[in-house]
Amino acid sequence: MNIFFGEHGSRAFEPWWSIGRYILLMGVLIWLAGRGAENLGYNWQWYRVSDIIVSIKNGHVQAGPLLQGLGMTLKISGAGLLLSFCIGLGTALLRLLPSAVGRLLARIYLELVRNIPLLILIFFIYFVIGPLFGLGRFTSAVLALSLFEGAYASEIFRGGLVSIHRGQWEASYSLGLSTWDSYRYVVLPQALRRILPPLTGQAVSLVKDSALVSTIAIYDLTMQGQAMVAETFLAFEVWFTVAGMYLLLTVSLSIAAWILERKLALNNA
Amino acid sequence: MRDIFLTSTIPSVLTQTSENRNQKDSQEQEIIQAKGICKRFPNGIVALDHVDLCIAKREVAVIIGPSGSGKSTLLRCLNGLEEIDAGHIVIDGIPLNRNAKNRLLIRTEVGMVFQSFNLFPHMTVAENIILAPQRVRKIRKSQAEELARGLLQKVGMEQKWDTYPAQLSGGQQQRVAIARALAMQPAVMLFDEATSALDPEMIGDVLQVMKDLAREGMTMVVVTHEMGFAREVGDTVIFMEDGQVVEQGPTTSFFDNPTHDRTRHFLSKIL
Repeated sequence: MNIFFGEHGSRAFEPWWSIGRYILLMGVLIWLAGRGAENLGYNWQWYRVSDIIVSIKNGHVQAGPLLQGLGMTLKISGAGLLLSFCIGLGTALLRLLPSAVGRLLARIYLELVRNIPLLILIFFIYFVIGPLFGLGRFTSAVLALSLFEGAYASEIFRGGLVSIHRGQWEASYSLGLSTWDSYRYVVLPQALRRILPPLTGQAVSLVKDSALVSTIAIYDLTMQGQAMVAETFLAFEVWFTVAGMYLLLTVSLSIAAWILERKLALNNA
Repeated sequence: MRDIFLTSTIPSVLTQTSENRNQKDSQEQEIIQAKGICKRFPNGIVALDHVDLCIAKREVAVIIGPSGSGKSTLLRCLNGLEEIDAGHIVIDGIPLNRNAKNRLLIRTEVGMVFQSFNLFPHMTVAENIILAPQRVRKIRKSQAEELARGLLQKVGMEQKWDTYPAQLSGGQQQRVAIARALAMQPAVMLFDEATSALDPEMIGDVLQVMKDLAREGMTMVVVTHEMGFAREVGDTVIFMEDGQVVEQGPTTSFFDNPTHDRTRHFLSKIL
């Protein structure tokens, strides 16, 4: 029981501490950058940043370039997350199947994707696969991201599934449940609890890796940032703002996962 | 009738099906027929070496023997948790073979209770019991709950309806596990060292539930080290060693008059 409560205590503490650490780190970096910029004679113009986040035209508040970029990043990450989890779970189940062909297919996909840099995968899908099947920029980007992250997610899923004790399977089978029902009602819900923390990490990487889709001219947060730097020369201000926005996304993800994890854990108390 | 233990707790739809089964049963007295079962594990160990087993309706058979003698493996073969290498098994008239449908059907007829309980930790006591009747027997939730309530009462756990397994003692978990297996209304119950993982003072509660079950006519195959239970409840005792049935017979003659030297040796060590 003590171990249990101890675990709970540290878990309650964790996200705030990691956010705190991040803010501390950012503070130090900003201070260093500020010092560096000062030595460069950099002229800080933070007041101009608000214009590229929201713009006011004819009395109407409109999303500025950075906010539009954030929207695009959200869309790509959201679709990518959903698809990568499906691919991950599918591949994990394929690898656990008794079928040798299924296992081989899953292995080939894993080894192929994990040994190709994401940037090259994006180019390959956009320039080679895309024209073949008539995929647009957005579809190509989501596909590349989710294929890449799905490979890692599948290992996380597989680990979680394998970690469920044999006795759970046997109990489920002995009650007459089919393999599918055993997965659905007995094994997956238990595995999910163990998978959630590493899966959150994977989701955070997906959000950050989505910056690479700017290379195929998708106007995501990074691309808009680049464009704004070119336009306004506010290099430091713009990139700090962009970094802050990514942070906002990933921290929200972590907090959501943490809440979900706690809910599942309480359920299991 | 065999189902006395259950009928009082069962919604009408279910009694219907079990009555039908009773009619079917009356034609075949033997619920478990196993002939020449062989099982060799991948590491080369021969767990079962031409084992025959016949269990009649309402019979309580107790399997004893030293550890590693193949008792548990035999039980696990009977509901298809282990694949057999040779021989054939017929449960309640259904052959256990490569046919996946038969296998699922047999598992609904054979309840199993494990040494390590194996309750589903993410579900409450009630959910543990309701899952299989709802998913496999396809009965409505309200009916399944009614069934679960009755069974929990039988095993003395009705006050733990909304509790999670982690909050229960071993003995309580095992009683819930028995209720969970009974909820499928099996024709036969297998007990795989159901009390071996329990503290001494909890063994009694679980054994009592098993005794009640036997008294009310459930067909049972029990692997156990509890000789008192074997003597009191068992109709037949089967002694296994090295994957073979060394001796089997009616309980009283088995304990008072063992014919085989190995049996005598084993009994002298544990009694």
